[in-house]
Amino acid sequence: MQMRKILFITMKGDQLGEFEELVLLTIAFLYDDAYSVAVVEALSQRLERPMSLGAVHRTMQRLEEKGLVCSRFGESTAERGGRRKRLFTVSVAGEQALQEVRRIRNALWDGIPITAFGGSRS
Amino acid sequence: MSQKPNTPQPPRWAERLLERIIAPHLREELLGDLYELFQKRVRRSGSSQARLLYGLDALLLLHPRLWRRNSADQQYRYPQTTDYSTPALTDMLSNHFKIALRKLNRHRSHALINVLSLSLGMACVMLIFTLITYHLSFNTFHAHQDRIYRIYTEFHDDKVRYNTGVPNPLGTAFRNEQPAVERVGRVAFLKKRVVEVSPAKKFEEDIAFADPEFLEIFNFPLVQGNPKTVLHERNTALLTDRVARKFFGDEDPIGKLVHVDDSLVVRITGVLRDLPPNTDFRSEMFIPFDNLKDHTPWMVEKDWWFSVNSEMQSFTRLKPGTSAATIDNTVLSAISDKYYNKDMAKYFRFKLQPLADVHFNPNLKGYTEKKNLWAFGLIGFFLIVTTCVNFINLSTAQALGRSKEIGVRKVLGSRRGALFWQFMTETAIITGLATVFAFMLAYLALPAVNHLFEIELSLNPLNNVYLVIFLPILLLIVIFFSGTYPGLILARFPPLLALKGKLSGRQTGGFWLRKSLVITQFAISQLLIIGTLVIANQLRYSRQADMGFQKDAMVILHVPDNQKTKINTMRSQFSELTGVENVTFFDTAPASEEVGSTGIRFDSRTESENFPISIKAADDHYVATFGLQILAGRNLKPSDTIREYIVNETTVKALGLAANQDVIGKNASINGRKGTIVGVMKDFHNRSFHTAIDPLCITTRSENYSHCGVKVSLANLEPTLAGLEKNWSAMYPSSIFTYRFLDEDIARFYKLDNMILWLIQAFSIIAIAIGCLGLYGLVAFMAAQKTKEIGVRKVLGASVSGILWLFGKEFFQLLLIAFGLAAPLAWWVMSRWLNDFVYRIELGAGIFVLAIAITSMIAVLTVGYRSLRAALANPVKSLRSE
Repeated sequence: MQMRKILFITMKGDQLGEFEELVLLTIAFLYDDAYSVAVVEALSQRLERPMSLGAVHRTMQRLEEKGLVCSRFGESTAERGGRRKRLFTVSVAGEQALQEVRRIRNALWDGIPITAFGGSRS
Repeated sequence: MSQKPNTPQPPRWAERLLERIIAPHLREELLGDLYELFQKRVRRSGSSQARLLYGLDALLLLHPRLWRRNSADQQYRYPQTTDYSTPALTDMLSNHFKIALRKLNRHRSHALINVLSLSLGMACVMLIFTLITYHLSFNTFHAHQDRIYRIYTEFHDDKVRYNTGVPNPLGTAFRNEQPAVERVGRVAFLKKRVVEVSPAKKFEEDIAFADPEFLEIFNFPLVQGNPKTVLHERNTALLTDRVARKFFGDEDPIGKLVHVDDSLVVRITGVLRDLPPNTDFRSEMFIPFDNLKDHTPWMVEKDWWFSVNSEMQSFTRLKPGTSAATIDNTVLSAISDKYYNKDMAKYFRFKLQPLADVHFNPNLKGYTEKKNLWAFGLIGFFLIVTTCVNFINLSTAQALGRSKEIGVRKVLGSRRGALFWQFMTETAIITGLATVFAFMLAYLALPAVNHLFEIELSLNPLNNVYLVIFLPILLLIVIFFSGTYPGLILARFPPLLALKGKLSGRQTGGFWLRKSLVITQFAISQLLIIGTLVIANQLRYSRQADMGFQKDAMVILHVPDNQKTKINTMRSQFSELTGVENVTFFDTAPASEEVGSTGIRFDSRTESENFPISIKAADDHYVATFGLQILAGRNLKPSDTIREYIVNETTVKALGLAANQDVIGKNASINGRKGTIVGVMKDFHNRSFHTAIDPLCITTRSENYSHCGVKVSLANLEPTLAGLEKNWSAMYPSSIFTYRFLDEDIARFYKLDNMILWLIQAFSIIAIAIGCLGLYGLVAFMAAQKTKEIGVRKVLGASVSGILWLFGKEFFQLLLIAFGLAAPLAWWVMSRWLNDFVYRIELGAGIFVLAIAITSMIAVLTVGYRSLRAALANPVKSLRSE
């Protein structure tokens, strides 16, 4: 029982979906002004495809449930009809998860033989 | 939120929707996000596109996460956000649900009565609905079915008569004449022919002799065989998959030979897919039309335009844009004019009958009339009304018992809307349960219904789209009609009075309403009871009335081959059997719907008479065997050809003669054949009681004899039947021995009426059962309400019978008013039904008295027990409390 619980937690931490990773990175990138609209705009600009607020917002909720981000309410502005925005920052666990992903990827990249891409890789 | 009138605003509907469903802890940020995005988009690409994108975003937000409540740790994380926020829609719903389940659990008997009565009514309605859609679906699966027509014949003399068939050359003539027609297919349906697969395997099958075009017009797809060549080559045949399996088991049927009625040997060249249940053409074996002249040559006599056989039919598919009326008026009337002389061209008219009409036209052997279906629909509607009424009745009565609850809820701030929806949730749960039960009930009753109607209904929502649509609609309608009124009543209670328990009848919905509902129920029950009584009486009358001939103990055998020697041998063999009293050979029994009719020219009159005369071919034993009475003259003399006629009284009257003696010895030319009239028979019913007695004549003509009638003694039937079978099978080794009793054949005339009787009986029993449940619930409630009153009355010296009358008089009043409504309506409906019978019972007062007696008795039984218990209760107990 105890084993399974630990396994579950690690699994949850390890399983960072591709989109989750992107959102998490964007939150880190936006640093002080990371809220859903900003993330939507930054991402859709970079990925060059439209993105629904719903998808991004749900991902951010999920990230928060996994403990990878923290959130707080920001100030209210007229542009938002007087409503406050929720600002996100990457937590320590989030940073570790990102580092982990990066490490795995780097290790993989380093392991690719030079000839694998027809020698075009410099 | 301040709004300048000119700033563009996001669409209201989307905002409203989100406000209602977003979980409170997300509401502020999400609405803010959307608003911000919207403002940015307005600046970037204009307000209309921004509104569109807002709506799209709102819809894409829909996801369980949107309304999922935050778990405990999240609440800890956002402590302030949930304060004072309006609860999401689902919160109240789950609360309603919980309360409703508790309520139903508390009042189990009440809930049970409701579920039972609702499910009874709904089960009936489901069955009625499937029955109606089943019949409406008939013949609708053919491509271009709106352009497919059957050509039928109208005989115009003093009245118009109809026949589904056409003269055999008409199909070809029509095909040659008409360019506006895509396809013409002739077909002859021959019922119950003997098909011999091997000497040991013989089957009776309905065979269609059809042109290849028949399969092009109609959608009966092949599973094996070449669609281009089947039915072209003579001496070939098509079978349906089912029949092929029956004949040959799992062997490949293609290329196998089978014998048909000794006259044909055909090779199987194709297999058709099994016929769907909703087709009127039920032949499962097809043989090329050209083969018909080898099988029954008389049906395709060359250029013979003067006889119409109802099974010799022609179908056509018109080109798009051609109207049937133009074809009727031009081509078909031109055919009449071309092939008949002037008089006959007026008599024989041909018309097109749309395929959609084939199942429903009673003149042209349609299975049922559409008005019967609508009558069923009406009964279904009545049943639903009774069930809803029942529910309303019980709920409004119960409402009084809930006054404290309502009072407390109102004091705590419940609004009317919330109370109303709470009640609707209860209704929805009850109705939902009832629907499930009803579906199970209907499913269980289905085999019985199918057996009764000889149909193949299925209650499978997966392949009946209409049922899928109908069930939720039925559910919603029932919820709405039965829930709305009690819900409004409940929600309207004034809280103070409700808390004090001082609600009177006024607040619980006027008593007049409940009374009128009970009246409706009584009236519907009485209507159905009167209907049952009238139909049952008429059918008993039809069965038991004297038909004018002997119909009991009459065995009818089929004669496959009427050679003189065979008939004579059979007659002598049969006569020697013990238990056989008389033997006769003929074409149709005295009462038969299959009867040929023709014209008559009497004596030396120059013109043909303007009435048709039915003609029966029979030997000289016919009169004695069937116990017909000769009023004047004598019986026919033995003969094999037409020499003499005997006619019935109606003929004498139709000829305009005063005395029966006047026709004796006169010559008559009937169907163009001369003979002497030698006798007059007493009138007998030659068809069902639906139709009047026709002018009729009997003559000898042995080549028409197709049946044998044997009068047997019922005392020792088994050996007699065995003897008949032995002799018959020895005579016709290649045929299958079957026999029928004449009285059974006659009972079959009223098959449809019998079905209606059975149904209306079932429906009235169900309506009464539902009504009784409601009545019982109402009395139980009244008794509870009147506990104190009864106690006081008893203390003051009222007798038990007096108190019983207290309950009784109310219901009897209602019953009488209901009778006043139901009786005229029933009288009107049933006299219309009886109009279909020429010979019928009178709608006497007796039936109505009986109906009211039955309803009173049922009411007394239902009301009696509960009110007796109330009347016998000890007044001390009821008065002591408080």
